[in-house]
Amino acid sequence: MWQNGKCKSMKNLIEINNLSVHFKTKQGEVEAVRDVSLSLRQGEVLAVVGESGCGKTVMCKAIMKLLPKNAWVKSGQIIADGQDITNLSERQMRKLRGSTFSMIFQDPLTSLNPTIPIGKQIEEAVLMHRNDMKKHESKQRVLDLMELVGISDARLRYDSYPHHFSGGMRQRCVMAIALASNPKILIADEPTTALDVTIQAQILDLLKDIQQKVGTSTIFVTHDLGVVARVADRVAVMYAGKIVEIGTTQEIFYDPRHPYTWGLMRSLPAFSQGKEHLETIPGFPPSLINPPKGDAFAPRNAYALDVDFERMPPMFRITDTHYAATWLLDERAPKIEAPIGGKIINEQR
Amino acid sequence: MNLKKIKKVTVFLLKKISISIIAILFLSVLVFFMSRLAPGDPLVSYYGDRAERLSPEEKEHALERLGLNEAIPNQYIRWVNNAVHGDFGISYKYKQDVLEVIEGRLINTLILGGIGFLLTFLFALLLGIFCAFREESLLDHIICNVGTVTSCIPEFYFSLILILVFSVNLKLLPSSGAYALGQSGSIQSRLTHLVLPMIVVVLSHLWYYAYMIRNKLLEEIRQDYVLLAKSKGLSKKDIMYKHCVRNILPAFISIMAISLPHIVEGTYIVEMVFSYPGIGTLSFESAKYHDYNMLMVLCLITGIIVIIGNNVGQAISEKIDPRMKTSEIVETTEVTKI
Repeated sequence: MWQNGKCKSMKNLIEINNLSVHFKTKQGEVEAVRDVSLSLRQGEVLAVVGESGCGKTVMCKAIMKLLPKNAWVKSGQIIADGQDITNLSERQMRKLRGSTFSMIFQDPLTSLNPTIPIGKQIEEAVLMHRNDMKKHESKQRVLDLMELVGISDARLRYDSYPHHFSGGMRQRCVMAIALASNPKILIADEPTTALDVTIQAQILDLLKDIQQKVGTSTIFVTHDLGVVARVADRVAVMYAGKIVEIGTTQEIFYDPRHPYTWGLMRSLPAFSQGKEHLETIPGFPPSLINPPKGDAFAPRNAYALDVDFERMPPMFRITDTHYAATWLLDERAPKIEAPIGGKIINEQR
Repeated sequence: MNLKKIKKVTVFLLKKISISIIAILFLSVLVFFMSRLAPGDPLVSYYGDRAERLSPEEKEHALERLGLNEAIPNQYIRWVNNAVHGDFGISYKYKQDVLEVIEGRLINTLILGGIGFLLTFLFALLLGIFCAFREESLLDHIICNVGTVTSCIPEFYFSLILILVFSVNLKLLPSSGAYALGQSGSIQSRLTHLVLPMIVVVLSHLWYYAYMIRNKLLEEIRQDYVLLAKSKGLSKKDIMYKHCVRNILPAFISIMAISLPHIVEGTYIVEMVFSYPGIGTLSFESAKYHDYNMLMVLCLITGIIVIIGNNVGQAISEKIDPRMKTSEIVETTEVTKI
């Protein structure tokens, strides 16, 4: 779909404008998502990458309006399938959940109800937006879905309980539930994190397969760059509640511009081949209670400029699809050779 | 295939029944020996105050007549022998066949305790769900606090206040007995006599269980599968009733099974205050005054109720949550582990 940075279809299924999500905690107000703007186009897979606690999951839950009670959308706007859903009521959201967007969660071991046969749980999702369906129709649909996500002997397993299934199989069930009402948007929140490595690959291939078959646009949240390269059309890199770099997979992997992205890339095991130690990014992510006023990554950034500590960098445009938030891209910044990609990052454009 | 299953079920039931019988035998041994080894004089319950004025010879004679001078194991064997033939002995206090004494009162207690038990748990479930829906709201806080306070009021005091208000001042309801004189068959008379004791029985236990259900539900609402259910598009109500309540039912049922003895003996204080002729009072007295035969029968009744309750509870819980299955009956479809 993405070729040379050009996209064939440009319809935005999700548009997030300046979204901020805050949490109220005993220690203070946590700014979990800070001023994030993002769009998801028809038929694409957008990967959201970042370390634990950078606000990836919160952003997804904000889209579905599944935030916990102590969290609220401070500002910003979410448009899904042409409809502004920022201020929709719970009742209206229920109509969209499952049909417009649905979600796959991190831990398949706990995301199924242990006391209900999985066939029934999938059927519940099938019937959610189709009350008129007859009994045998809905059962057939469940069996089809189970086939689709690669559960063999679906008829036999219709009455099985989640505890009869392994983690990978349960994640397949969760996917069947998510796909039950043909959602336009699928949000996969680290769907392979809780699975072991061999199963991860299977589930990823399955996700990609289904995505191509059904044509669902997908937001794919992960902290594993290897996974990103495998499935994503575009990548958004998040740090401390903000998007620091966004671009096509090609651009992010071959021409990363933000020092944080460099750090992520260099900490891939492949980069340390033949070396004694794995590369790491020094330090810790900042607390999101009263986050730093400049670039949140500056204290851990070997390339940080003075201005990074003072002022929040805006998103600098590199190409039409590639943006990054670092002062290194400013005209006045010193020229630096990127540690990966090997390009002078501040070429005159 | 089908025959095999029937065979399996029969074997399973036979096993359960034989285990229950062994448990009851064990219980009877325990109660029999413990009651006899406890200090106190059983003749007091038979002769009342006169027991103290009996001469040693008369005492000896009385003990022999009641069969209490033998060694305890021999007494037990005799008791079992008689019990198997349907003779549970006489009550020392009432000088009547034990079963006859209990017969008239058991039904009263079963009405008060049984209905009270069902109402307690029904209301507790409803109240728990109600509060869980409105978690941390003002109403929830009020209910929880009022509950804590009222559950701290002692039963006898609460009973007395109710009698004072409804019987003495308002003259609406009778203050004692299970029915008006000579109207043991009248449902209306029974009902009016039941209202006040029932209120005490229900209210004194209600909050404890309701609070527990509320907390269990709140724990359940925070599970991951609720999030998935929400993302399917299910409403809060559907999630609560179809998923959460269903999942706490096994825990709820096992608590019900454990508290079954309350039906028979938990109503003791209420029966005392309202002079309600039930077996709560009987069992207390029989233990206190060494009315051995009475005590044995009451303990056995309680034991049987508990064993039946536990088995039924286990069966229902297994039906709801198949992970709890301990029995050997494993359906063939369940072997499809992957």
